[in-house]
Amino acid sequence: MNQEITKLAGFTCAYTPLPLLAAAGFTPYRILPVGQAPDQAGSILHDNMCPHVKRVLDRALDDDLPGLDALVVINSCDAMRRLADAWPKARPAEPVMLLDLPYSADERAVNFLRQELLALAEKLAAGSGRLPSQEELHQSIATYNRLARLFDRLDARAAAGTLTGGRAGLQRWHQRSVTEPIDKILAELETFAADNDHPDKAAAGAPILLFGNVLAETEAFDLFEEAGARIVAEDLCTGSRQLTVLPENPAEDPYLILARGLLNRPPCARTIHAEPTGDLAEQVMRRAQETGARGVVAHVLKFCDPYLARLPAVHERLRKEGMPLLVLEGDCTMRSLGQQRTRIEAFVEMLQGEES
Amino acid sequence: MMLPYFENLIQGIEERLATDKSGIVARKRLTLETARLGKRLYSGEERITWSGLVAPYDLLAAMGIVPCFVEFIGGMLASMGSIDPMLEQADQMGYATDCCTYHRAVTGAVHQGLLPEPDFLIATSAVCSGGMAVIEGLARHFDKDLFVIHVPHEKNERAVAYLADQFRALTDFVTEHTGEALDPDRLRMAVDNTNRARAAMIETYRWARQVPSPARSRDLINFGIVMALFLGTEGGAEVAEAYRDEFARKAGENIAGVPGEQLRLLWLQNRIQFKNPLVEMLEQEYQTAVVAEELNDIAWDPIDPEDPYPGFARRALSFSLVGSTAHRAQSIQRLAKDYQVDGAINPCHWGCRQGTGARGLMGEALRGAGVPTLNLEVDCVDPRNFAEGQLRTRLQAFVEMLLDHKAAAGGP
Ligand code: SF4
Ligand code: SF4
Repeated sequence: MNQEITKLAGFTCAYTPLPLLAAAGFTPYRILPVGQAPDQAGSILHDNMCPHVKRVLDRALDDDLPGLDALVVINSCDAMRRLADAWPKARPAEPVMLLDLPYSADERAVNFLRQELLALAEKLAAGSGRLPSQEELHQSIATYNRLARLFDRLDARAAAGTLTGGRAGLQRWHQRSVTEPIDKILAELETFAADNDHPDKAAAGAPILLFGNVLAETEAFDLFEEAGARIVAEDLCTGSRQLTVLPENPAEDPYLILARGLLNRPPCARTIHAEPTGDLAEQVMRRAQETGARGVVAHVLKFCDPYLARLPAVHERLRKEGMPLLVLEGDCTMRSLGQQRTRIEAFVEMLQGEES
Repeated sequence: MMLPYFENLIQGIEERLATDKSGIVARKRLTLETARLGKRLYSGEERITWSGLVAPYDLLAAMGIVPCFVEFIGGMLASMGSIDPMLEQADQMGYATDCCTYHRAVTGAVHQGLLPEPDFLIATSAVCSGGMAVIEGLARHFDKDLFVIHVPHEKNERAVAYLADQFRALTDFVTEHTGEALDPDRLRMAVDNTNRARAAMIETYRWARQVPSPARSRDLINFGIVMALFLGTEGGAEVAEAYRDEFARKAGENIAGVPGEQLRLLWLQNRIQFKNPLVEMLEQEYQTAVVAEELNDIAWDPIDPEDPYPGFARRALSFSLVGSTAHRAQSIQRLAKDYQVDGAINPCHWGCRQGTGARGLMGEALRGAGVPTLNLEVDCVDPRNFAEGQLRTRLQAFVEMLLDHKAAAGGP
């Protein structure tokens, strides 16, 4: 991406087609549910609502955000739709662009998403004056693939406990990668990745799989490691699920590549796998076994129906295999996670006890 | 437990209908049809499916499938007074109590063995994320195939084509599971029944709009949402026609559903499904009638029997809970105007991110249209936390405020 990028496109979901945003002349800017903005969103929506969405809206209401040239919302769940509805109350001048996201990955769904992506490109172009060419989009996909591959390598090192800065450090990179221009972050991350490994204090910790939706705070990862856990795999919307390597094929329609790639990436709970059904439970179990985790921590936000409704099945599946599960309900504040410190410590102690 | 319940219900209503002298029988006909559906679901003799709310029920009827949306179970258990053990079961399974009780109830019920095994399942992304997740859970529990329907957010021709295409694929999916191809004549017949029901429902609503309304508040509770299940059937068309005829007669004779009607209210989304005295209190103490319900609405055109799939798709997209809050607000504002209501009640069903999640936005839209709105924080299917006294006081204060306004404005 050589052209100067001056416009910001806010986004809130890991399914956002970042290569398209960048190719259309925008810097993608993930609005993370962090910060100290006062609670106000409940009065526009309802208090009994996804804290991720409320926190993002709180930030908008409190002007705790840079000015956005567009907000791209993915139709991933009820809460996200409500966010799209409510945004104009907070930032009436910022155009909201909703991208509809199918629930399965069959060819009908892929074609529909392709058309949605084309429509999004046109809406973005109305703001930036640039409808990306096919070549630009291919190039953007390749650039994001470089970033995704770098993260895969760093993730493996974090799992082994040898990455400088550990998981918390990696999370900081994850956050920067979705709020800063891609070229800048890519250059810095490549330098960082070229650095030698440094065995970390957590290398000997109890291996756990951490899965769930939104856990943006870097301190949270310190908390797990301080409790004696080593996160051998992580499956979070604000972490490893933010970027996925897409196929690169200059001969193919890049919108189709993007559509197929988005629908076939590691799914979050809102995406349904008709075959086999109830795949989240299987997916978690498989991942835990593959990565040598001895326990699983689910960090799920309060009021998140897609995850909460599936937890009983995950519970049942893990219990059958004798895999311990700790469920933490989050609300996008470190305070709530801090209150769970004792439970985390007890869980890790239990895993360590089993090991010895 | 369920089959005998429905059999007894059918017998009781048939006896009452046979001896009825009042001629006010439409509601009983609806209950009878519902009980018959329940019996078919539990008889073990028919092909059944558990589905999401906006499945094409007429298409399924034409293919010999008895359909039921999963939320129906929560509502039914609540009305039977049997929901508590199901919710407790869901709690024990670790289903968060912050989630919608309709979904917790059906999850508890299935694990208590109270749901008959379906031949397959159909998830629809509308009307809510929780519903999708629950159907996926049922498919896993029963180890049955699941067909997933994505109902698009926007209402445009691209969305219609995509959804119609999914309904065509559903037809193939059903055939694969039954071994029986769709008979075009049966489909035409089903669509004719749908159009008959549609016409009669529109007429029914037209009569209900009359001042005073011939509808008693309980006549139309859950009417639109339950009628959706009967689309495509002869029985469904007959129930709708019974309503139409009864309301026409009452309107012609100037019989008010709530004698001395003083105020007219619009009810948003969910009715409270368990026995409670609130609506009766409104009628008897304040001559206040709930004349309109958000889900008692038809915003779709007749369906073309020769090519019904686009019509099925348009119908699904027209549902007020599909799409943006702005689309929903428009539907509700239209109803408020058509029914000349004095105010609206929004029962903010605990755990509903879809409807309740828009509480503030809906309140603003209704206020903007001059419709005072009362938000009632209530769980529509869980009677365990029902704060009757508190809700009664809030309703009374709201209605008194509306009466004062009306008096100040020179009416009624
Ligand atoms: S955390 Fe859950 S409810 Fe919130 S936006 Fe994500 S999927 Fe939706
Ligand atoms: S009340 Fe809301 S969450 Fe519950 S089934 Fe209805 S739309 Fe879904």
